[in-house]
Amino acid sequence: MSLLRYTLRRFAQAIPVLIGIVTITFFLANQIPGDPVEIMLGPTPAQEQVEAIRAQYGLDRPIHVRYFTYLSGVATGDLGLSIYYDRPVLEMILLRLPVTLLLMLSAFAFAIVTAIPLGVISAKRRNEPADHVSRIVSLIGVSTPSFWIGLVLIIVFAFYLGWFPARGLVLPWADPADVRGAATRIGVLRQTAHHLFLPMIGLGTLQMAQITRIERSSMVDSLQGEYVKLARAYGVPESTIVRKHAFQVAQLPVITIIGLGLSTALGGAVLTETVFEIQGMGRLIITAINNQDYQLIMGTTLVFGFVYVIGVIVTDITYSYLDPRVTYGDE
Amino acid sequence: MSEPLLSVRDLKTQFFTEDGTVRAVDGISFDVHEGEIVGLVGESGAGKSVATSSILRLVDSPGEIVGGEIKFKGETIFGLEEDGGGELRPRDEMLTEEEMRKRIRGREIAIIFQDPMESLNPVFTVGGQLREFIEINRDLGTDEAKGEAIDILREVGIPAPESRYDEYPHQFSGGMRQRVLIAMALACQPDLIIADEPTTALDVTVEGEILEMVKDLQEKYDTSFIWVTHDMSVVAEICDRVNVMYLGEIIEQAEVDDLFYDTKHPYTSALLDSMPRPDETVDELRPIKGVMPEAIDPPSGCRFHSPCPEAREVCREVHPEPREMSGDAEGTHTAACVKHDAFDIGYDTSPPIDTEATGGFSAGFTETGGEAE
Repeated sequence: MSLLRYTLRRFAQAIPVLIGIVTITFFLANQIPGDPVEIMLGPTPAQEQVEAIRAQYGLDRPIHVRYFTYLSGVATGDLGLSIYYDRPVLEMILLRLPVTLLLMLSAFAFAIVTAIPLGVISAKRRNEPADHVSRIVSLIGVSTPSFWIGLVLIIVFAFYLGWFPARGLVLPWADPADVRGAATRIGVLRQTAHHLFLPMIGLGTLQMAQITRIERSSMVDSLQGEYVKLARAYGVPESTIVRKHAFQVAQLPVITIIGLGLSTALGGAVLTETVFEIQGMGRLIITAINNQDYQLIMGTTLVFGFVYVIGVIVTDITYSYLDPRVTYGDE
Repeated sequence: MSEPLLSVRDLKTQFFTEDGTVRAVDGISFDVHEGEIVGLVGESGAGKSVATSSILRLVDSPGEIVGGEIKFKGETIFGLEEDGGGELRPRDEMLTEEEMRKRIRGREIAIIFQDPMESLNPVFTVGGQLREFIEINRDLGTDEAKGEAIDILREVGIPAPESRYDEYPHQFSGGMRQRVLIAMALACQPDLIIADEPTTALDVTVEGEILEMVKDLQEKYDTSFIWVTHDMSVVAEICDRVNVMYLGEIIEQAEVDDLFYDTKHPYTSALLDSMPRPDETVDELRPIKGVMPEAIDPPSGCRFHSPCPEAREVCREVHPEPREMSGDAEGTHTAACVKHDAFDIGYDTSPPIDTEATGGFSAGFTETGGEAE
């Protein structure tokens, strides 16, 4: 069976999972104590006003009716109206999601680019000084919360050294006219990189540490494999053995960890965005919860769930592409 | 006899572990002549595989070759000499690591590993792996090497080699994978192939087919083999000469027929008695008593003295080096057992060891001369 059919089937299989996510999110959001209307109108609103608002947002209907309305809304891309912003939830998400994705992708790019060479060197020089250093760095990395790293980065590189800005983010697609210190597109991109650097490291350190650890142990395993001994016995140069024979086999668990890391990084992004005052999904979800904006809570939670599911599917597909032993699930 | 192709003299390979020094290979000597299949036989842990990886200088850390000499076609694979201060250092003519890799490994001496399931890389095609080794060791271009690879796959009995060339190892059965490993060794056209228990992981019918095939191919290419095995029936099937290893030492060395019909060492007899033979009828097989001791702390005297049915007190004290048994110039037969006249150190008058080892005072003086063959 072709990879394409496998891909399509994996996505089809995800549909029940997505419906499950919508259902759980909906009922959880509706169980949150407190009344959004009360927050909107203050402690002593007029009764007619309350009822008008309830009717406007559909809150006066029974919960099962609202559930099916919401479900069919999600299917057609309508996530309802944000009570706090008074704008469609989808619009808010489409505004903020690219910011978070930009942060996450740059964090992962940083993590992968540093972790893979570090892990390989560590495995190759096992129990030598380089290995000890890399293991200590990655141990610290996995055991330090990303928001704390963010705060330390701000204190050192923004406050004391003044090398990087401490807050905010310039979007690469922003109009140069709106960006301070940038006259052209190149200038905007430079500003983006400048602003992105600290949050990228803050969010990426955990991923970097995790990937390094897996890369190391996986490479240690594959460097001891019989196929590596065979290659050595046939005069294959050691550099080729590391780069090709051992490396390719060793990447399979690394891919899994990267895929899983994508979802934990979403959680990390919420904290990192808060620390660096970046207007992304994380800030959106916190605003939604603080204001009992249950439509927005549902919408943002759904997006996180969807990103998770897509991450898992992409991991599976990459895996089947890299490892010839993975079958596509039929004869 | 002519100059041997490979000559191993007093080879010692040790592993420096936290628990102490493991003397995995402890002073073995043997030759391989052109066109010969030489057996290296012994139980697990006897040091057979360490001996073969020493020949390619591929002993994994913490293991190290600490002494002896390995010569191959006049080149020194391993050899030490004393510098001025009594320290040992590699001889000048010893091949460098780079020379070993480029000139010896694969090109001159190829190896077939024990485990066909693990030895092929799971993420590359069988053909690609074979082709890579051919390219490296025969200086061929990619297309030529591919052609050679398909030819050799056909030769080792892989059906439809053109289409199987692009398949992955997991699509091959164990026997087929072993054929691929044999193809790799043959394809590099080496003078010597080390076969490290290549049929142990296979079932008996496949083993038989593979042995037949190797015999045919050996005749065709006139390649020499070192055949490592613990299976005496494989030895009988394929080897010209045999070295029997016990605990890091070669304790008997003979032409294959001499070894089977004129066995000189009690350990070899024990090995032969522990397996069924078509030429002898026995009521039951006799397994070797106890397990082989650890090479980290080998027993004093003859290392086989404790399980040996013929051991006497002298065996506990004297460590025998292999000596010539037949006195024949052609077809040497050596054994390291003091019961033979070649040693003459009073075995006949020495009291037998009380194998129960409970004080042993009275038993020590009892003569039971009937035990020796």
